[in-house]
Amino acid sequence: MPDVCLYFQVHQPNRLIPYDFFRIGEHAFYEDDGLNGEILSKVAEKCYLPANALFQKAIKQSRGRFRMALSISGTVIEQMEHHRPDVLKSFQDLVATGNVELLAETYYHSLAILHSKKEFERQVERHLDKLEDVFQIRPRVFRDTELIYNNAIAAQAETMGFDGILGEGVPWVLNGQSPNYLYRAPQVSQLKTLLRNVGLSDDLGFRFSDKTWNEWPLTPEKFAGWLKNAPGDVVNLFMDYETIGEHQWKDTGIFEFWEKLPDAVLDEDIKWVTPSEVVDLFRASKEYDCHWPTSWADAERDLSAWTGNVMQQEAIAKIHKLEEEVLAARDPDLTHAWAKMQTSDHFYWMSTKGGTDGSVHQYFSPYDSAYDAYIYFMNALADLQIRLKRIREAKADAGEPAV
Amino acid sequence: MNRLRVLKLGWEFPPLINGGLGIACLGLSQALSKHVDLRVIVPRAAPDAGFEGFELTGLNNLRVEDLQTVEGKYRYESFAQIDRVPIHLDPYDSDETTVERVRMEPGGEIRFSQTTRNQLEQFKMGELYGADLATKVIEFSKIAAKLALQTDFDVVHAHDWMTFLAGVEVKKATGKPLVLHVHASQYDRAGVDARGWIYDLEKYGMEQADIVIPVSRYTGQICSGHYGIDPAKIRPVHNGAEPVEVFSTKKKFPEKLVLFLGRLTAQKGPEFFLEIASKVLEQNKNVRFVMAGTGERLKPLIESGAFRGLGGYFHFTGFLNKEKVNELLSMTDIYCMPSVSEPFGLSALEAAQFGIPAVISKQSGVAEVLKGALKADFWDVDLMAKHIIDLLTDDELRARVVEQAALDMAAATWDAAAETVVEIYRELVP
Repeated sequence: MPDVCLYFQVHQPNRLIPYDFFRIGEHAFYEDDGLNGEILSKVAEKCYLPANALFQKAIKQSRGRFRMALSISGTVIEQMEHHRPDVLKSFQDLVATGNVELLAETYYHSLAILHSKKEFERQVERHLDKLEDVFQIRPRVFRDTELIYNNAIAAQAETMGFDGILGEGVPWVLNGQSPNYLYRAPQVSQLKTLLRNVGLSDDLGFRFSDKTWNEWPLTPEKFAGWLKNAPGDVVNLFMDYETIGEHQWKDTGIFEFWEKLPDAVLDEDIKWVTPSEVVDLFRASKEYDCHWPTSWADAERDLSAWTGNVMQQEAIAKIHKLEEEVLAARDPDLTHAWAKMQTSDHFYWMSTKGGTDGSVHQYFSPYDSAYDAYIYFMNALADLQIRLKRIREAKADAGEPAV
Repeated sequence: MNRLRVLKLGWEFPPLINGGLGIACLGLSQALSKHVDLRVIVPRAAPDAGFEGFELTGLNNLRVEDLQTVEGKYRYESFAQIDRVPIHLDPYDSDETTVERVRMEPGGEIRFSQTTRNQLEQFKMGELYGADLATKVIEFSKIAAKLALQTDFDVVHAHDWMTFLAGVEVKKATGKPLVLHVHASQYDRAGVDARGWIYDLEKYGMEQADIVIPVSRYTGQICSGHYGIDPAKIRPVHNGAEPVEVFSTKKKFPEKLVLFLGRLTAQKGPEFFLEIASKVLEQNKNVRFVMAGTGERLKPLIESGAFRGLGGYFHFTGFLNKEKVNELLSMTDIYCMPSVSEPFGLSALEAAQFGIPAVISKQSGVAEVLKGALKADFWDVDLMAKHIIDLLTDDELRARVVEQAALDMAAATWDAAAETVVEIYRELVP
């Protein structure tokens, strides 16, 4: 009988205003502060606050036997500090129980790993500092944005001192093996890879409220039974925190389900474990050889959610191309504004995919279309370029050497 | 010499306008009214729109009783053979989609004689260019013929294909000479292969007309070459341009600005503008390109721009209202109009009023007016790019182009146009 490792992702992006051409060169604030605060509040009321209370209670009632992990992006922490300190406090209280492990990620929930190792490391360091500051915790396990993973990213995580990394259990890479074991990437010596159990995670994240699903309605007892009968050492249930109450609405019974699941699992003598406990408990005896970057997004489980069309490719390449110049300007506000534009959601909204995945992209988008997302982003980027040019010229006027 | 009496048939009229046609009809009407007695009939006029100098009749304001005196006097012979009418629902769409049936009365005879309340009602409702465009065009011509029978006039003057049928009907009903004004043809809207009801109507109308007035020599060549109209009865008259209130806005960015303004449809050449931008930016990064407007090519254009890596230097604004267009013009350095086929191109004149030098395609009417503008074939993106780079870098050249444009502008008035049009009337009505 395997243990169960539960991890939720908590993240909100900084959506941009409809930044039209006429703002370029004079409007230096790109984000829709009002909208971002509004959405944070909405998600907080529907998900973060009730879910935090629910798990706080579960930890208490199980006398600490219920355990889980959260990864909280730097951007959402900032939004909470700015708009809803009470929500941040509720996360701090939850983490203070000692039963909720925090994971490391890129501060800006970015795709930096694909473009710049230096920028990637800068963002991970910044996230670690933020967690230290806000939660007094230093994570041992890393997960990249949207579970983006391959051999090279695993090796990078090991270089940075992490003991474990999370990835998607992609069926065509697992090639018939079970995701319920710890794996090792080629060319790493210590680092262990935890793979998401796609089927069981998506039962909770996606299928839970689907009345055409032949397992509907799903009860905690039934689900605990599936866990009990699963093979391997550990079942990794990884999903967005927002699946509780936001993607799966309250009236689907999702809260009742999660209220009962901790006990239902314990009643089957299954243990709740956190990612770092998994790393300590089990050996990584099998190799998971993943060359191409994979992720938990879209049916393709690759990077096509963010880099699938030419608009996405251009936008992401151009924002990263500014790295050297932005950092050379040594202006923390400018660097921060630039880095927030690396948040993966900006590119996610530019996707022109159709079908079910396409509707998910559209559901999360604050804009009318992928084309609007691209236009506003590129206009803001043009403004950023102008600001950099002005800094460059001012420095030249002041006689400073060009970089 | 007696003052001529002119019956003008138009489709859209300010303030109810869709594009440039209404503006041109008003400009010409106001200037003509200084020389002739003018009555303008349009399908729809704003109820309170009064214009000085000429009488405007909208069929939407007409009552059945108004036509009583001429009912039964005219049999609409043009329609006697028609039992169905294939029509483009959208003049900018090249696919033929729908076949409209004209209602048949019992016995198989089509009755046209009596104008009903329903027929008048339709001019009060819906879009002027909506799905019932074909019906509106036909009903307009029937009613216009009846109104013509009630009016004393010397010459009928119809503007663009929607009114051509009406023009022909009026000529048949009254025997008065017909002048057709071609502001744009199906060739300009849908390309060289465009055929269908609209094309047929244009050809039929121009064949029946006594004089055809295209808005440029370029369009005149299309009338003769593409529609096979006798060049002897084609008399190009350039549009005028209303003076606009010119102002200048300081750009908020250091780069120069090159502007494309228009519907994003293949005939306006937006793809060529992208290519031109791409070539200019290869050599000169100190410039931004703006594509203002919307249309069915918008999405592919955005993707094409991204593919070329122009993002950050090439900006799409979507649809802009007049105020925003003027704001944009007030900060523009170069106007680029690479139209595949542009009967006139009023926007280039408006840009010229803002002191903006133009780079325009040879396949445009305005190229005949703006003598100093830099020109190239629409497909010659290398030359277009060279022109833009020259204007960006050569201030003397820029000054010359702007100076010449100011002279050309001074001559491009509606008064000048109206005088030529009156001369044409005089040929027909000595």
